[in-house]
Amino acid sequence: MWEALEHVHWVVVLGTTGWMYEIVSVTHYFSTFFFIGSIVLVDLRILGVAGRNQVVTQLADQLLPWAWVAFVFSMVSGFLEFATDAGDYMFVNPFRFKMLMILLAVIFTLIVQWNVPKWTRLPAIPAMAKLLAGISILLWLGSILAGTELPALTGLG
Amino acid sequence: MYEAFVAFCKWLESTPWGAHVRTTDWAYPSIQLIHFTGLSLWLGTNVGVDLRLLGVGKQRQTAAELSKTLFVWNWIGFCVVVLGGFLLFSATATTYVTNPAFRMKLGVLIPVALFWHVIVQQKTPVWGHAQDALPAGKLAGLIELLLWISVVTAAVLIPNY
Repeated sequence: MWEALEHVHWVVVLGTTGWMYEIVSVTHYFSTFFFIGSIVLVDLRILGVAGRNQVVTQLADQLLPWAWVAFVFSMVSGFLEFATDAGDYMFVNPFRFKMLMILLAVIFTLIVQWNVPKWTRLPAIPAMAKLLAGISILLWLGSILAGTELPALTGLG
Repeated sequence: MYEAFVAFCKWLESTPWGAHVRTTDWAYPSIQLIHFTGLSLWLGTNVGVDLRLLGVGKQRQTAAELSKTLFVWNWIGFCVVVLGGFLLFSATATTYVTNPAFRMKLGVLIPVALFWHVIVQQKTPVWGHAQDALPAGKLAGLIELLLWISVVTAAVLIPNY
């Protein structure tokens, strides 16, 4: 099945046409840095070390909608890169680890996002909020590390 | 001048940290982690202000307010980028200096983008004071966005040479 994806006509064209693959790569890097940065900034605000002149909801409402749009760009471009070598990516552990880290990071970011309005109404940001924001940062850093380890360990990408 | 720079690159490669990043399996990806973490902070704080100047997305605050709030982490991100980038460069400095895409990236695009970024940051309190930014601010934000995309493009092209 994954091998078959590699041999779909447009995937072959993408994988063998330099400028197309490069546009996809630029999109992937740019959107990934932008969305992770935006999410981490909100987490840092919850931890009390960034943007203390704004309440958490004000910063989160400004940054997170951009972050999710950029996240979609990152996932689509990432899938296109994956498709060109799907059969290989799918069966190496660093790739599976990267996907697991992203999944966990998204879950923690969503938990943070859903609770931000509640936390903002409290007199002080609860310790649990800071813990969740800290875990979100670590998981996103873990996703980046998995992304850099993937080519180093497997030669893919 | 150029020869002195090449000699400097050779020396960088021979430094303990340069050799370490080049020859240790785990070092290179972890230094990339530093570079990419810095880039996330840098682009997260730059692109947001540019988009807000352009009027794209939610309008929970003005570009001026957003720029002020993100200022400190913008430059913390920059320092992290430079640290990671310097260590990556040290590993194979002599190869990088002869690479046309790298030369374009570090010699032209980054200085221009950085210069432009500082201007935008200085001017945003005026350009982005109202909900709808001044036309000059929108244009400046768009140009900054395109400049950083061009920097990432040059970086992606480095392995081609």
